[in-house]
Amino acid sequence: MQTSVPANGGYMVAAYVIVSLIVLLYAWSLARRIHRELRDS
Amino acid sequence: MTEHQQSRAMDRIKAAATVRRGLITTAIGLVGLAATIVLVQLYTPTEARQGLAQKIFYLHAPTAWSTLLAFSLCGLAGGLYLWLRDPRLDVFAESSAEVGLVFAAMMLSTGPLWGKPIWGTFWQWEPRLTLTLLEVFLFIGYRALRGAIVDPSERARYSAIVGLLGLALVPFVHLSVYLFRTIHPQPIVLKPSAPSLPWEMLRTLFFSLAVFTVLYLGFVTARYGLGLLRQSRSTEHAD
Repeated sequence: MQTSVPANGGYMVAAYVIVSLIVLLYAWSLARRIHRELRDS
Repeated sequence: MTEHQQSRAMDRIKAAATVRRGLITTAIGLVGLAATIVLVQLYTPTEARQGLAQKIFYLHAPTAWSTLLAFSLCGLAGGLYLWLRDPRLDVFAESSAEVGLVFAAMMLSTGPLWGKPIWGTFWQWEPRLTLTLLEVFLFIGYRALRGAIVDPSERARYSAIVGLLGLALVPFVHLSVYLFRTIHPQPIVLKPSAPSLPWEMLRTLFFSLAVFTVLYLGFVTARYGLGLLRQSRSTEHAD
C-alpha cells in the first residue's frame, strides 16, 4: 500500500523565509554599524 | 605625528582590513545561502514520511552547528584571555557570542517549525531542547553582563568566566541525545558510526554546513574588525 506524502510545505517555506531574513538583517545591521564607525573615526 | 599616533593609525588600518575580509566572506556566504535554497528545493529528494517539512533539516542542523561553534570559540577565546590578557581575545569572544546568538535565533525558530508537523508540538521540555535553551540564555546573560560592567579589564575577566561555562555546556548539549531519553533525533554526521542518510541528502547537508560555517566566519571576522575599530577609538579618547 502506498502512503501519501504529508502536505506540510508551509512550515518549510516559513523556516526558509525566517532564516533568510535573520541572515540579511544581521548582515545589514553589521554593515551599518561598520559604516558609522568608519565615518565617525 | 608621534610614534604613538602612528601605531594607532596602523591599528585602525589593520582593523579596517579585517572588516573588509569579513564583509567579503559574508558576501560569499550569502551567495552560498541562495545556492543552498536552490539545491534543497530543486536537487534534493523529499523524504517520503516527513514530506517537505524534513527540508528544514538543511537549515536547522547547520545553524545548530554554527551556534555551538560560535559559543565554543567564545569560551575558548575567553579562556585564552584569562591566560594571556590580550584584549583582542576579549574582542573576539564578544564578537563570537553576538554572532552565536544570531545563529541561535535561526536554530530556535527552525527547530519548532520542524517539530510541529513531525512531533505535533512546537516545543517539548526534553533534555536536548532544554539544555540548548539554557546555553542560549547563558549567552544572553553574557551580553547583559558585558553591558553592565564599565571597566574593560573587569568586563573581559567576568565575561570570560561566563564564556567558559558556556563552552563546558556544549558537550552536554551534543551528547544529551545519548545521555538521556529524548524525542530529539540523534546526530546524523557527528557520531561514531557512518552518516545515516542517502548521498543526495548528505551532499546537501554538507553543502549547507559549509555555507553556514562561511557565514559564521564572515560575520565574526567583520564583527571582530568592528570591535577592534571601536577599541582603537576608545583608547584614542582615553589618551
